[in-house]
Amino acid sequence: MKVTYNWLKDFLNIKIPPESLAEKLTMAGLEVVSLDEAGGDFVFEIEITSNRPDWLSIFGVAREISAVTGAKLKIPTPKEQKIKAKELKPVKISVQDNKDCPFYSARVIRDVKVGPSPQWLKERLELLGCRSVNNVVDITNYVLFELGHPLHAFDLDLLAQETIVVRRAKPGEKITTLDDQQRLLGPEILVIADNEKPQAIAGIMGGKASEVTAKTRNILLESAVFNPVLIRRTRQKSGLQSESAYRFERGVNLETAKLASLAAQDLICKLASGKPCGYKSIGITKSACPSVKLETAYVNRILGSNISAPKIKQILRALGFGLKAQGKGAFLVKVPGFRQDIKSAIDLVEEIGRIYGYPEIPQTLPAIKPNLYISGKRDVISRLENVLVGLGLQEAITYSLIDRELLARSGIKPPAQLVEILNPLSREQEVLRPSLVPGLIRCLAYNLDRQQEYVSIFEIANVFSARPDLPQERLSLGIALCGSRPILTKQGLIRDEFTLLHLKGILEGLFNNLGIREYEFSSQGSGLVNVAIKQQDSGFMLDLNKQSLDALGIKNKRVILAEVDLEKIFSHINLDKKFFGIPRYPAVTRDISFIIKDDIPIQGLLAAIEAKGLPLLHSAKIVDYYQGKQIPAGFRGLTVSCVYRANDRTLTESELVPLHNSICSLLEERFGIKLR
Amino acid sequence: MDIKLIQAQIEGDISNAASLPSLEELRVKYLGRKGLIAELTASIPALAAQERGAFGREVNGLKSKLLTLFAEKEKSLSGGIQGATDNKVDIGMPGIAPALGSVHPITRIIDEICGIFTRMGFCVVEGPEVETESNNFTGLNIPLEHPSRDAFDTFYLKDYPKLLLRSHTSPVQVRVMKARKPPLAIVVPGRVYRPDAVDASHLFMFHQVEGFLVDENIRFSDLKGTLSLFAKSVFGSDIKMRFRPHFFPFTEPSAEVDISCIICKGKGCSVCGRKGWLEILGAGMIHPNVFKHVGYDPEKYTGFAFGMGIERIAMLKYGINDIRLFFENDLRFLNQF
Repeated sequence: MKVTYNWLKDFLNIKIPPESLAEKLTMAGLEVVSLDEAGGDFVFEIEITSNRPDWLSIFGVAREISAVTGAKLKIPTPKEQKIKAKELKPVKISVQDNKDCPFYSARVIRDVKVGPSPQWLKERLELLGCRSVNNVVDITNYVLFELGHPLHAFDLDLLAQETIVVRRAKPGEKITTLDDQQRLLGPEILVIADNEKPQAIAGIMGGKASEVTAKTRNILLESAVFNPVLIRRTRQKSGLQSESAYRFERGVNLETAKLASLAAQDLICKLASGKPCGYKSIGITKSACPSVKLETAYVNRILGSNISAPKIKQILRALGFGLKAQGKGAFLVKVPGFRQDIKSAIDLVEEIGRIYGYPEIPQTLPAIKPNLYISGKRDVISRLENVLVGLGLQEAITYSLIDRELLARSGIKPPAQLVEILNPLSREQEVLRPSLVPGLIRCLAYNLDRQQEYVSIFEIANVFSARPDLPQERLSLGIALCGSRPILTKQGLIRDEFTLLHLKGILEGLFNNLGIREYEFSSQGSGLVNVAIKQQDSGFMLDLNKQSLDALGIKNKRVILAEVDLEKIFSHINLDKKFFGIPRYPAVTRDISFIIKDDIPIQGLLAAIEAKGLPLLHSAKIVDYYQGKQIPAGFRGLTVSCVYRANDRTLTESELVPLHNSICSLLEERFGIKLR
Repeated sequence: MDIKLIQAQIEGDISNAASLPSLEELRVKYLGRKGLIAELTASIPALAAQERGAFGREVNGLKSKLLTLFAEKEKSLSGGIQGATDNKVDIGMPGIAPALGSVHPITRIIDEICGIFTRMGFCVVEGPEVETESNNFTGLNIPLEHPSRDAFDTFYLKDYPKLLLRSHTSPVQVRVMKARKPPLAIVVPGRVYRPDAVDASHLFMFHQVEGFLVDENIRFSDLKGTLSLFAKSVFGSDIKMRFRPHFFPFTEPSAEVDISCIICKGKGCSVCGRKGWLEILGAGMIHPNVFKHVGYDPEKYTGFAFGMGIERIAMLKYGINDIRLFFENDLRFLNQF
């Protein structure tokens, strides 16, 4: 909202320059977002918080300046003019539902000379960004800006039978508003009608039919209080925003409504030579003004300050509150009608703190009682992130909202039902993602398009699935690898193309770090690997097929993906450690180098060695593999390293050789290996 | 005086020094404030004018020679490494190590912020992103049909009446307070959603960190002290902070918190819009209505709460000028963190 320096000066004596005033207003909660010199005046643009409709006026801001600077506030007191009996001709007013319109008042002003406004009035309005129309309309706007209460002037002669009916619109009723738009109304919209048809959308905009123009002779000046929620709904539904709607939605009050009506009449008489010919109102006669009990000790207990009772009294009085002492340091505070935001003592504490000045309140440190039993997942997530970063992965953060089309392209079959967004702004916000894969793939493609040789990224975030009453939200880990990672060795550069085994290595590293032992990778043939923990399906690894890669526009590169359900992982984390004695006797290592058919899985082979080698075999690991010139087609060359050890003695050749040989024979018999 | 002779004498002394302490004694004797060199320098003005220049140069030469000798001797007395091979290495060649990744800058800021508060005694808790209208609005004293809600445009879910994507992390306040009794000292990082048109400073998804402290006798001054510590540890001990009155439905009194502009140090620049101040968070004393909603006695307990946008903090701290960079995930961006 805009206010000007000179206009404010109508209400109080400001002794500080505009810049200092801007600073003071900002520090009192009226944030001045810009200050410009224009037309010999200064225009302040102020951001008014939604709880303070009383600040949406020059006078409201002046009252605040008075409280902050101590300058005396001149309160406007227009007088009701005496009306001669023979001119009196009140209009008929009826209000259908006083919940919609708790107060309605009308003034009849006759013999008005509609014409251009005087220069000073035009200038003031223009500084606030309001276009001049004619003297009568300008005066209603002037009073709106000055006092904060919206008014409307109808051409009285154009209202059928000089009647006002405040009612809901009938289905199918239409109105052409002042902006020349024809609008369809309905029972959810409150209108000001005459005996025949709607003449204004209540609180929002007047109708073209009864507009005040150069031809107007007699006017009806409306000042009312409408239900804020109703105005809000109409404004939202019609998309029709106005200075009036803005104020009605935030809440107006009876006292200002009456004051504004009178002030406008005064001006119309002065500047458009009108004659006041009657006033009629219907509805409430008093604002509901609560009285709030306030103790000085309470104020200081909340603020941590040491503000005296007289200071409190001074601040609240300056803001327009009435105070009655109630014992030592206690007050009964009478809230004025324009402060409908004040409902209890805590609201007054803010008022006192604000005007006393937040900078004057000391800084202290609370005695925090830590509760170490409250803990979320953040610690373990950080641990995961650090392990993955150490393994060379880059964290990405992608949107939780995605479009179905991306999902369909990403090689993931979407579930039959997705969690949909009711009010997306664009297609990219259609659904809550059921998987992290689409986002990661998009990120891969984005980076490949920008000449990245390889991409290795992960994301930890929620995925969503539809459930009867509440969508399920599960924390998930997604990993995406693509391209060849250059590794510089002593021998020079190796280009290490990512495969499912790289991803397996990453997941193994992660599980081991988290103390998860019983994990298993099982391939269902093709490039899909199931990841299970304690026999429970916990995720998958995927070598994306050509069809999906084509759909994503990724050429000549493999894309390796994994997604793991972290909620399942978390339940198996075991960070307890138990120390095992360091072996006192040396281990003996024997390697077995052999070739084996491609289609025989290794997993069973290692398990068989471990079973056979008990109790002396400590571990069996694949330490080398080879495919190439010296290996027949359809075979792989492998080296398994067997480590033997006893806890109570050094193993002798004589006990080792038969055991090792029996393992070799077992492999020959059961797996058809050929020793090399 | 024969400088050459003196020099020979001192060189002998230095080479005979057998330990660092005895070398230090010699240093004081010759190079100290009242040492020989100082004495010689002091004697220069007393010399005949024509001798001064030459003598001065000799003394200076001696001084720099001694500095070198002392440094060399100190090195040899300090011990060192003897076991290197004769193998030559071109240490200009690249180092060999597996490449490290890095966490996203948002995660980095979240970790930093949560770290500061956990050191003060706060616990980190998270909450769901799909929320109820009650936790997101009414439980936080935000009426459903009031202009105060306009700041929180919200995504609603189809087929789930009254469920939405949380538009701030504050609903976690309601959740934690419903489940537990004070004292509570909690920080909550997380994703939040608002249907905002996307531009350089707006996205429909972003991150917040919420914090709240509830106990008996928690005061506004405690909020000021706590946030001042926080701001200094994130942005540097020389920054200034100010509390500006503001309005939030769930706090009373409420404040917006500004720090002095980290770019121009408060002089006014394009980043702070010539104001010299940067808004970094919103805060206040938890509204008694929020306490009533969760069944706390507002006469007994008071508390403060604060919330901040992580993207904004990251943008200020790292000098990032476009919020969209965070979720484009360009490796050339991510690699920098």
